[in-house]
Formats: sequence, C-alpha cells, structure tokens
Amino acid sequence: MNELTVNDLHLDYGTGAHANQILKGVSMHLQKGEVVALLGPSGSGKTTLLRAVAGLESPKQGTIAIGDRNVFDGAKNFEMAAEHRNLGLVFQSYALWPHKTVFDNVAYGLKLRKMGSSEIKDKVSDVLKNLGLGHLAERFPHQLSGGQQQRVAIARALVYNPPVILLDEPLSNLDAKLREEARAFLRELIVRLGLSALMVTHDQAEAMAISDRILLLNNGKIEQQGTPQSMYETPDTLFTAEFMGSNNRLPAKVVQRDGANVMLDIGGAKLQGVARGAGSGEPSTIIRVEEVKVSATPVENAIELPLLTCMYLGDRFECLFKSEGGPEMSLRAYSKHRLEAGKYWLQLPADKLWVF
Amino acid sequence: MQTLTLPGSGRRSINWTRGVVVTLAATAIFLPLLLIFYQSFLNAPFFMPAKELGLDAYRFIFEDPDFSVAFKNAFLLAAGLTAIAVPLGGMLAFLMIRTDLPGRGFITPMLLVPIFVSPMVMGFGYVVSMGPVGFYSLWAKDILGFIPWNIYSFTSIVVIAGLTHVPHVYLYASSALKSLGSDVEEAARVTGASPLQVMFNVSLPMITPALAYAAVLVFFLGFEVFGLVLVLGDPEGHLVLATYLYKLTNKLGTPSYHLMAAVAVCLVMVTMPLVMIQRWLLKSANKFVSIKGKGARSKAMPLGKWKWLAFALIFAWLMFTIIMPMSGIVLRSFVQYWGEGVNLRDVLTLQHFREIMEQPALMRGILNTVLIGVIGGACAVICYCAIALAMHRKPDGITRFLDYSVLVPRAVPGLLAGLSFLWVFLFVPSWLDGMLKGMDNGVALWLSENAIPLLRSVRSTIFALWLAYSVVWLAYGMRLISTALLQVGPELEEAARAVGASRSQVTRDVTVPLVKYGLLGAWLMVFLIFEREYSTGVYLLSPGTEVIGAMLVSLWATGSTDLVAALSFINISLVAIGLGVALRFGVKLHN
Repeated sequence: MNELTVNDLHLDYGTGAHANQILKGVSMHLQKGEVVALLGPSGSGKTTLLRAVAGLESPKQGTIAIGDRNVFDGAKNFEMAAEHRNLGLVFQSYALWPHKTVFDNVAYGLKLRKMGSSEIKDKVSDVLKNLGLGHLAERFPHQLSGGQQQRVAIARALVYNPPVILLDEPLSNLDAKLREEARAFLRELIVRLGLSALMVTHDQAEAMAISDRILLLNNGKIEQQGTPQSMYETPDTLFTAEFMGSNNRLPAKVVQRDGANVMLDIGGAKLQGVARGAGSGEPSTIIRVEEVKVSATPVENAIELPLLTCMYLGDRFECLFKSEGGPEMSLRAYSKHRLEAGKYWLQLPADKLWVF
Repeated sequence: MQTLTLPGSGRRSINWTRGVVVTLAATAIFLPLLLIFYQSFLNAPFFMPAKELGLDAYRFIFEDPDFSVAFKNAFLLAAGLTAIAVPLGGMLAFLMIRTDLPGRGFITPMLLVPIFVSPMVMGFGYVVSMGPVGFYSLWAKDILGFIPWNIYSFTSIVVIAGLTHVPHVYLYASSALKSLGSDVEEAARVTGASPLQVMFNVSLPMITPALAYAAVLVFFLGFEVFGLVLVLGDPEGHLVLATYLYKLTNKLGTPSYHLMAAVAVCLVMVTMPLVMIQRWLLKSANKFVSIKGKGARSKAMPLGKWKWLAFALIFAWLMFTIIMPMSGIVLRSFVQYWGEGVNLRDVLTLQHFREIMEQPALMRGILNTVLIGVIGGACAVICYCAIALAMHRKPDGITRFLDYSVLVPRAVPGLLAGLSFLWVFLFVPSWLDGMLKGMDNGVALWLSENAIPLLRSVRSTIFALWLAYSVVWLAYGMRLISTALLQVGPELEEAARAVGASRSQVTRDVTVPLVKYGLLGAWLMVFLIFEREYSTGVYLLSPGTEVIGAMLVSLWATGSTDLVAALSFINISLVAIGLGVALRFGVKLHN
C-alpha cells in the first residue's frame, strides 16, 4: 500500500508574469517501509516538493495523498493545514526550539495531542533511548553537539509515530567525519524501526547509501527513478549519468552506429562504445573515472596519453592525463600506485564507454 | 619589479579631528546635565546673588504632596502602559509578519502614525474627538443617549498611552521575528500546533529578549510621557513627574529653578538606570538571534477561522488609536466651533488657517519647524556621523566612553533638556563674563565686551533650539548612523588600508561613499522626529525660536483651541509628507 502518493504536482513561486515554475508536474509514491531519496542539484525543486508534502508550500495543481487521506487537491482547491497532516519532518537546520529542553522539544508533539503526562514521559524516554539520547533529556539544544542535535530532531519527528517521516538534507549540517557515522546510524535506524521515509539530498553517495529508491529531479521534473544500483549502473540520460558518479567526458565523434554498438573516433584512435538513452541531439561520450584502466603496454580499446600529474587520495592515486598538442583532451583515472612520468595506454571498456 | 612605496614617513600622528569631535560631543552632553545637578543643590536660582549650597530644594519637593502623587502616577502610568503595549505589540507583530492576515499592506504604514505624530497632537486629537463635547462623543450620544467613555480619567489616560505605544513594541518584535528563522515555527506546525499555539509556544518565547527590551523601552517612555498627560490630565488634575515639573513654574510665581532641578534629578535617577538596562538587553538580544535557520522564504501561516476575528481586533485598535484622534483634528481645524446641536455643514471654515497666516509669530514658527527639520536635520546627521566615525572600528577607551555618553541624553526627557540648555545659555556667558572681568587685562576686557553679548544672543536664535534637539536625539541618531556603518564590511576598509590608505583616507574614500544612502535615510528620519518634537522647545520658546511643537504647548495653555487644531493639522501634514517620501524611497523606518 502507498503511504504517500503525489500526482502531477505543479508549483510556482510568485504569480502572474513573475511566476517562477519550481515543480512542473511531479508524480511519485512511497510504499510502507520504503525509503525514497529526492536527489538533484540545487534549484531542481527537491526541497520544494518535500515542503509541499509537509504542507509548508502551496502547490498550484495536482494531488497529494497520505495513506488514503487526501491532503491536497488542486482541482477541488483543497489544502489541509500542515498541523493536521500528522507527518514527521526533520529540518536541515534541525530547527530545535532553543528555549525548550531536549525532553520538552520531543514531548511537544505529544502535549499537542493531549496525551497524559506520565504517558508522555514514557514515550519520550523510549524514543530518546532508541536514539541513544537517554542521558541528555534535561539539556538545552545549544549544549549538544551537532550529531546529538540531529538525533533530537529525528526523535522529535518520530515520537508520535507519523506514517511518513520527511528528512530535509539531514546530514548536510554535519562535518565530513561525522557525516559517515550519521549515515550508517540513519540507515540502521530506518531498518530497525521499519520507517517509511522521504529524504531530500544533493549528495548522490548519501542517497545511494540510505535509500531503497532514488528519484532524480532536474529542473522541476523527474529525470529518472529507480534503485540506487540501477541509477548508477544503467543511467538513461546524460544528466543522470553525470550526476550519479564522477566521469570523464570525451571529445568523440561517432563514426558508425550498429544498434547499441557504436564506433567512435577519439583523437584519431578508433574505439568501441555502447549507446544509451534516447540519443537525441549532439552525442556525448562519457566514462566513469573508476572504469578507466591504466596500462603501460598497448591494450585493446584504449587511447594513448601522457601523464600530467598524480594526486594522492589516501587509499589510491587519482592520475590526470592530458594530450600534448592536437585536440584538447584530458582524462582522469585511479591507480593503486604512484605512476612514473611518461605515456600510458588508457583502456576504456566498450560496455562502460557510454554514448548518449 | 620595484615595489611602489607611499610618500611620507610611517610615523603615527595624533588624530586632531577625533579629539575635537569627542571634546565637543562630551561638552554638549555633560555640561547641561552637570548644570542641573549643580542647580539642584542650590537653595535659589543660580543667577541670584544670594544662593547657598544645600538640600533645601529636595526637602521642599519631598514634602510637597503633589510631588509624591505625581511620582506614583508616573510609575503607575509607565507600568500600565507596559502591561498593555507589550502583549499587544508582540501579538500584532506575529499576525503581521507570519500569518495571512487580510489587509497587511495598508496596516503597515498606519502603524507608524502614533510613533511619528507628536503626543501633544495625539492628546489634543482625543480631546476633540472623544472629549465631553468631542465629535465621536456627541455622535455616540445621539445613538446611545449617553457618552460611554470618560477620557479624562486616569485609567483612560493609561489605556490611551498603552494603545498608542503598541507600535513601539511592534517595531522591535517584528524585526526580531523577521530575523528568526521560520523553520522553528514550521517544525511546530508539522508537529501539530495551530497558528495560535505556534505563537504562544514558539514564536513569542523565542523573541523574549526583544520583548524584554521593548518592555523596558516603553516603561521608560511611559515615565517620560508629557504631552498626553498635559492635555488629558488637566481637567481632572492628574499629574505625572513631567507635568509636575512644568507646573512648578506657575506654582510659586517666581522662577524656581532649584526646585525644577531637584525634580529633574529625581526623574533622571529613574530613567538613567532604565537606559542602561536597555543597552544591556539590546546586547544580549543580539546574541540570542544567532540561532537562525535557512533564509528560505516561507508561506504565510493560514489563520483559518481566526482570520476575520484578528482583523476585526486590529481594525478596532487602528480606529481608536489613529483614525478617531486624527480625523478629530482634521475636522476641528476646519470648523468654526463645535458643540451639542451644531450641524457640521453650517460651521465649515478656513478661518483658523487665515488667522495663522495673519500672525507673524505663528508663520515664523511654521517656517522654523520646516527649517529645523530640513537644514537642522542635515546638520544633526553630519554631527552624528562625525561622532560615529570617531567611534568606528576603533576599539579603545575613547570609543567606550562615547558609547555610553551618547546614551546619557536619552535619559533626559525633552522638557528637561530644553530647560538645561536654557540654563547653559544663561549661565555660561555670565560665568565667563565674571571670569574675564576678574582677569583684568586688555584681551579679557575686549572679549567680555564683544564675545559675551554674542554668546548671550545665541539663546534667542534657532541655533540654541537646534543644539538642544540634536543632543536630545543623539542616541537615536547614533543608532541610525551606526546601523548604516555596520553594513560596510570590515574587509572593504581593510583592503583600502592594505593598499596604503590612511585612516582618514579610508573614511573619505570608502566608508562615507558606501553609507551615502544610509545617511540620506537617517536625514529623513531625523527630519521626522524633529517635526514631531514638542517638549524640548517649551523652555527655549522666545521670539525667533518658535516651533510648532512648543507653540502648541503654550497655545494650549492659553486655551486657543482653534489655533491648536489648525497648527496640529499643519504639523501632521509635515509629518505625512516626510513619511510619504520615506515610504516612496523605501527608507527603512526602523531597524
């Protein structure tokens, strides 16, 4: 059963001639126990979609339903106020109330639901314990670390068992080291409590790690959706391919096309590639950085380039190759070891050399 | 390549300009105040030959029953005003800033009216619209058969003062709300709180520092209330400290400067701590705003069924505090006389305005009011700017001294400031004269013959009034300027220093050009408050220094209601022009 259904949602900022279309017909659904990530660059409308679901933005047309409750219907001009939607929302800034203690922050939703004080106490300490915050109940938000504040924000959203929990860039306010721990914690929490969650993020690694399904938004429309693996390994569009990983873009000319197999001319060398997507317009050729194999000796389906420099990344080197004279071309590849200066053969496996 | 070096040596020179600015500012601030203190410990006015140091003046006022009544009333008025204005101002700010209240667009400019219209005019507006024979009173009597209010009672005065001070609280509460990230409110809404619950549980508690500041501010303003009580308290004889001070002159018949000074010292003893608390609260309020969410634009909170109730309450408030008194003045200035059984259409006239045109003193007063606003305002802004630049990014002892000093005049109510400047202009020349005569040499005698009369004549020029006005509004003006100065990023000035500009060159070439529009806005604001000012000029009123505000006080005392109405109308028009220009050019009317 769908916990959340969004159908053909349109939303503008401003009205009349100054209207700025943010969402241009977005449809999506979220099933019970599923985690969906809304991924996209800034300005793609992902946060707006989340806020529209929460009732903090007014869409122009379309419908939103939570379970079988309609909460927005553009055709009937019906919009349920945010406070009646019963959703849990975790803000990017956490938005903890600085004048309330951790306990009061979490208990507020239960107080509004007219629950008895002993029952509130039990429930709040339950959820705080679940999030590893049991000993911090009497603290004020400013006395907590960033990671603890984030968990309080999650506890506050979870305490009244909302059918769907909405997370707005939940990890972006944490520093890099903490973010990886928080990512694992969040995934573990979602699985353990069986939550249905909709999460906004601009970081594709975060989206792939936490969610079951990714919705990639581009300019107010859904570009592609699917499991993290399918999104990464079989992108349908150039935008998806470029957004999901780090890529090399190659100045290739299509010489011959035979079904999915494409013969390319890259700086004089003839290479085999594979066509993906609808293939309209000027063809673009890309390959993921990690798929480029560096070889000192000639290999099949490869181009020869001199090494410019190597950057040490800790677990490996990222090497930059750049053509001398001739057409401008540069390629990045990973290497286990530092490479000596000189020319190398860069193998571009035919099934990973994507032509859109 | 050779480095291009600056001409001149790297030696630091003494900053003469700064020294002059600081000395002049300190003199203008502290000399009048010291004179008040000195006078309060004399047992006769300072110009009398027979005077001694002593506590007689204090003994007299503490034994005067009127003084204790006035003191108690001033306290009650301030407390009642605060109790009314703070909750209403906070709620008004929430409704205006955060919700989909209808008619926000036209309410916003109306809110500024009670701040910029002189309380003297407001008080008069209440008399002519809701007094025993006021327009609205008589219309109410026609419908109900009786007048349902008595605006001369002390309770009414407190209520009126409270309601007219709601905008002061509103300004601080609304700017605090604007800088408060809306995410904390959205979090409460998603959690299930209705707009009213959001207001009481999240928004208002979170702007507590701003509300506390506003509470101290309006309590302080309540202690200073003069015009409103002068007009409304007279019929039933209600006194507050400021009006007691004003009435002391009539009480003894002779100039009783020592008694006035003693009352003044008592007043300042209450207001000075309040001003210092305000400063402290403002500092901590700024710290509190550090919790900010994303600056995302947020949708107005839908009020639902409360929408029209909220609108009706706000409209009732607007009706009582703005529309009724203002329309009363406009009507009264265009009717010949007014009373029971008079038909409005029969008595319409322009007679009062004609009368004003025939009296040169009144015409001079109007001209002076415009001049002191436009030219005096510009001069005041230049002086404020000089002081602000003397403090700008120079964290040292002198800056700290100025920082507190500019607040001192804030604690001296306008009436008192006018009085103390009068004393300065009377006292300083005669004191200098005495000193010069005692020195007994050629230069001193020449100075005493030529310079002293010049100094004496300053008292009856508009310069005296301008100086008093500028000092009274020093703290306000300084805040306007320093807000503008703070917008200049320090790195812009540091970049200029790095390429080799001296401090004064940085000021001239970077800082001042960047705050140009801020200064123009400040000029307009100073124009508005100089037009509104009435109490400072009361004691400085003499042929040549008439301004509308001070003339209203003296004309009111003689009972010429017609002229007061017409002058009030002109005063409101001047303020309205200023406000119109300010709104047209988008000047920020508060910070």
